Amino acid sequence: MNKLILGRYIPGNSIIHHMDPRAKLISSFYFIGIIFLCNNWQSYLGMFLFTMLVIFLSKVKVGFFIKGVRPLIWLILFTVTLQILFTSGGTVYFHWGIISITEFGLTNGIFIFCRFVLIIFMSTLLTLTTPPLALSDAIESILRPLAVIHFPAHEVSLMLSIALRFVPTLMDETEKIMNAQRARGVDFSEGSLIQKMKAVIPLLIPLFVSSFNRAEELATAMEARGYQGGVGRTKYRVLSWQFTDTLALVCMGVLTLILVYLRA
Amino acid sequence: MKNQTVRMISLNGIIAALYLALTIVVAPFSSGAIQFRISESLNHLIIFDKRLKWGITAGVILYNLLYSNILDVLFGGLQTFIALSLTAYFGKYFPKIWQKMVLNIVFFSVSMCLIAWMLFITLKLPFWGTYFTTALSEAIIMTLSAPVMYYIGNIVKMKLN
Repeated sequence: MNKLILGRYIPGNSIIHHMDPRAKLISSFYFIGIIFLCNNWQSYLGMFLFTMLVIFLSKVKVGFFIKGVRPLIWLILFTVTLQILFTSGGTVYFHWGIISITEFGLTNGIFIFCRFVLIIFMSTLLTLTTPPLALSDAIESILRPLAVIHFPAHEVSLMLSIALRFVPTLMDETEKIMNAQRARGVDFSEGSLIQKMKAVIPLLIPLFVSSFNRAEELATAMEARGYQGGVGRTKYRVLSWQFTDTLALVCMGVLTLILVYLRA
Repeated sequence: MKNQTVRMISLNGIIAALYLALTIVVAPFSSGAIQFRISESLNHLIIFDKRLKWGITAGVILYNLLYSNILDVLFGGLQTFIALSLTAYFGKYFPKIWQKMVLNIVFFSVSMCLIAWMLFITLKLPFWGTYFTTALSEAIIMTLSAPVMYYIGNIVKMKLN
């Protein structure tokens, strides 16, 4: 039943946990943008130290971050191996047929490894320290200015909140239907692709019917309670921008300047 | 008469939740090195109502935000939204459901260039090779799921009317 816990949020009492989710979201996206400025070991070292500092401030065990890298480790290793074996340039350390290990290949491989791991670490930090509903509130707040071009920011946010509310319910329902069909002899894991696709039909049909009924009931309940759209609505969870949030954005600016200085 | 906006918000929310639930609970099918997510079949819902693009895109964005990384949020979300919007726009020129499904498969496969580009800039993976494999896997799962979704479409249409 552990899978039914949504997201990877770990409650905590750190400065990162207390930050406004908008600041965390903006900083995370910004971090991913500036990581592409790195082009030498000094700049990657700077980003690595910054990431380690933020992880330390979050008081979350490093093991959780390493767990975040694990699902992608084969893709990362595959890419790094490709880079190391097939990039030419610089001193040649080993050569055999079309394969050659060169200075540029090794450097490129290490840089790509660092970049991807840092991106995953920062993404993991965001989800480990921010509850899913706070993330949805942050998205609404960030998208709100788009209302001037008729973007339905409030509706999108409500939709995200409904989605987050119903994920555990639908996961539970999916498991129940799968178990019910397994009891009737359906095997979801064996056979060819076509056989597997056929096996999901008895799962998808009841799941769709119940989901659509649920959406219908929810719409009726919202109407019955007088839901009239976003205008004039107050919020239960109010986001508040603190000094630390501004400081976080300033730190990102300073980090950018340091990177510009360090890069080759 | 039910308020259509409220109905669409709740339906899109539930579809996004369904995308997450299916991705998390149902183990991906694998064939060789390529993996298929069953939740990708939800992409065909756009054929039955173009307003469902919000829910499908939200499902992709939320899954990537909660379980993957920020680059996937940006590129995965954008790729899904572009492909769905193109199907929604050009779908009106194709009267038959199967034609719209083919169109949807083509748009989703072609738009995988965004994912290939993301992998190229982050991991320096060869663009064309990555594009070919990602587009192929998308085309396979969406083709295989098309008959299932064609059948489910009757339920969707019945519920939407």
